[in-house]
Amino acid sequence: MKKKPNLKKNMRVMLGVFCCLFVLLGSYLLYSTVAYGDQWFTTPYNPRISASKNIENAGTIYDRNGIPLAYTENGERKYAESEDMRRAVSHTVGDIYGKSLGAETLFAKYLYGYDQNVVDKFNSVQSGQKGGDVYLTIDAELCEYIYDHMNADPGAVVLMNYETGEILASVSKPTFDPYTAKEDTEESGAKFVNRVTQGLYPPGSTMKILTAAAALENGVTDLEVDCTGEAIIEGQKVTCTSQHGHVDFATAFEKSCNIYFGQLAVELGDNAMLETANKFGYNYNFQFPDFTLYNSQFNVSGNKGDLAWAGIGQYEDLVTPMHNMMISAGVANGGVIMQPNTLKDVRYGGSSSFRYTPSEFRTIMPQNIAAQITEYMRNTVDHGTATSADIGNVTVCGKTGTAEYVEDGEVKNHSWFVGFVEDAAHPLAIAVIGEGAGFGSRYATPLAGEILAHAIEMGY
Amino acid sequence: MIIKRFGAGIILAFMILFLLSGMFLLSFAGGTFNMEAAVLGIIFAVFIIVQYNVLKGIFKHLERFSLLIADFLCIISIVILYRIDPEVAQKQLIWILIGNVCMVIAMLVIKKSHDFGKLNWVFMILAVGMLGMTLIFASRVGGAKNWINIGPFSFQPSEFAKILFLIVTAYFLSSRDRKRDMWPYFVFTIACVGLLVLSRDLGAALLFAGTFLIVFYVGTGSVGITLGATAAFAGGAFLSYKMFDHVKTRVEVWQDPWATYNDKGYQIVQGLLAIASGGLLGTGLGLGMPEVIPVGTSDYIFAAIAEEFGIIVAIGIIALYLVFIIRGILIAMDARTKFDKLLVFGATAMLSLQSFIIIGGVIKLIPLTGITMPFVSSGGSSMLSAMMQLGIIEGVALKNGEYEEAELEEMGGGVA
Repeated sequence: MKKKPNLKKNMRVMLGVFCCLFVLLGSYLLYSTVAYGDQWFTTPYNPRISASKNIENAGTIYDRNGIPLAYTENGERKYAESEDMRRAVSHTVGDIYGKSLGAETLFAKYLYGYDQNVVDKFNSVQSGQKGGDVYLTIDAELCEYIYDHMNADPGAVVLMNYETGEILASVSKPTFDPYTAKEDTEESGAKFVNRVTQGLYPPGSTMKILTAAAALENGVTDLEVDCTGEAIIEGQKVTCTSQHGHVDFATAFEKSCNIYFGQLAVELGDNAMLETANKFGYNYNFQFPDFTLYNSQFNVSGNKGDLAWAGIGQYEDLVTPMHNMMISAGVANGGVIMQPNTLKDVRYGGSSSFRYTPSEFRTIMPQNIAAQITEYMRNTVDHGTATSADIGNVTVCGKTGTAEYVEDGEVKNHSWFVGFVEDAAHPLAIAVIGEGAGFGSRYATPLAGEILAHAIEMGY
Repeated sequence: MIIKRFGAGIILAFMILFLLSGMFLLSFAGGTFNMEAAVLGIIFAVFIIVQYNVLKGIFKHLERFSLLIADFLCIISIVILYRIDPEVAQKQLIWILIGNVCMVIAMLVIKKSHDFGKLNWVFMILAVGMLGMTLIFASRVGGAKNWINIGPFSFQPSEFAKILFLIVTAYFLSSRDRKRDMWPYFVFTIACVGLLVLSRDLGAALLFAGTFLIVFYVGTGSVGITLGATAAFAGGAFLSYKMFDHVKTRVEVWQDPWATYNDKGYQIVQGLLAIASGGLLGTGLGLGMPEVIPVGTSDYIFAAIAEEFGIIVAIGIIALYLVFIIRGILIAMDARTKFDKLLVFGATAMLSLQSFIIIGGVIKLIPLTGITMPFVSSGGSSMLSAMMQLGIIEGVALKNGEYEEAELEEMGGGVA
């Protein structure tokens, strides 16, 4: 005899389930609004902010030395007088139409005074209260200098103080003029894309910093290779720019030998390489408060030939100039990357309400390995592939990169340089890329030397 | 009894106050007095007062709270819709009026009927036919094919298939003792869910499948089969996740809408921004920007309400749905026949599941599936369907009341 189902009891059970579900619904709503509400509200994507943007009340955007880069005069938004300066900082400053992702959008909450009190956010606008003045960490004159000396277009340069994380200069070409941003269409070379933070490139030989760090960390440095200019590694042909002959770990780095580093990556294996790459910030979801940084990518397929290519910055490796600069900054700073920032100060009616304090972003390698890699990078500039970055009175450490890509069926090269000044008085880290500008040692390296020399002259 | 009646009256008065102050506020919003908003408010206020009192007068055993909650949700709907788009609000008012007629009809039909007997076979064919027709003829709106256009009218057959599904469910689970005799019903359920998935109406598919599981468990008490069926549906869901890109997109967007805020994640991000912009107390009626939320009058109306009325009112609405569910389940427990019990329980479960799915989707608790918010979202089919479900609940409540009265008389007692 089968038991009759007890409907009442079953209904009571379901009633309990529904009660739980709806209580969960209410609590989650309350929790997410309390925990994330302010953060959500102040995102640049909130049309409520741009809609109530009252240019009249917007604060001024200054560079680190107080040069006004965007300000309101007679109800209109005005920008730096020199067109070169306007264009040099346009990606960092942004525009008021929301076409680019610069300070005008990212720091709208300060410029329009929304950060003061979320409850009063609309009242402050309606009462005509003036927003805050934003001081950026960039030096507009240095940016203009870089803009004028960058021959490669498209290309990007980013310069940071590796002890504090302040971005001193960030220039991306092609660029736009904020005065004509409204009429500009995106078609012309994606000029609104900030290549420093949104341009993903194969790192090429600059990746050897990572592969070398992985080798040092795993104690795999006794490999020696006879380089004949090309080699078949696990069925895939890897080529070198010249025949390096018999190379060991140190010389392979200085000469940037692909055969050596391809084999080194294979020796290290998928897991060790992936582990170091993840430590360096590859495959990490960057969430910086000051800007949107696209995520870098490092993949392994299980195929050793692919791994050899990945170890020399090809295969599916992708990195932004900002992230690549951060890695060399990490080497310079004893293995610790400081959190990069572009916002220096916010002032309401003269009194500062925000001041940047340096903080550590992540440790990518122990100090002794950082010192070791610094030595290799020093030698690279001293007598390796990057001698054209040598500027005499200070020690520059660096790594060139030539990243191959195919465009319209033609193999072209991105010209890379990443490096830093090894001097506590001038803690500068830099990344330079020229799209399709040829070998790293040709375009990027001498330009980096020039920029570093000028920055030091300016007192950085 | 006295307190209950007194309470209901006070609640009604507050509701009318809310409606009128909302509509008058909107009529002054443009700077000049807008007669239309005020008139619309007054018409609706009068209608609700009349509706409530007439129904109460005719039907002695009316379930007052469920009716009042539905009315209040309709009031919020009219106010926020008028705020976003006056034209939509006018249409909505007409649908509410027609919906009330449907509700009364449903009440009377349910009150008089037993379990529809052989008619259920017709219902089954009708429901599958409607859903099949949708798949073949419907136009695609927002990625889902769920609208059928006939001349100037467009309607969502899945909304009406819901009612048939509820009746068929109650019929089979109450008239067949052995599970193997229920097979036509199982085939029917799988056909409905399958057709909905093929039409890409994932929200409705989830709703049908969920309702089936809940009512099947309550009706048979068989935990094993319910869990097995849940696993089967979950497997189907996983399979469709693997097979269909639009399902995969939904899940990805749910995990991180901000990564694609500009295209795929746009709707969810805009919803969250609206909720965050309102904060605890809301921006105030007319002071937010709910018009920028995609489908803000329909699926996303919850975000619009949260923005202007605040989290407090939003949570209040969630609580109202919960009270509605509790009342519905109490009526189901009280019902005299197994068919009535399962019918009311099914209607309640479906409405509550529906509100959970859409509110949960909007606040990013669960992946978003497009579905309307019962009694609140704009749209005729959805309003009529919700009203008919309310009619089912009310109809059984009337039966319960009459039985109770008869029993009391038999015992020689009764209330004066």
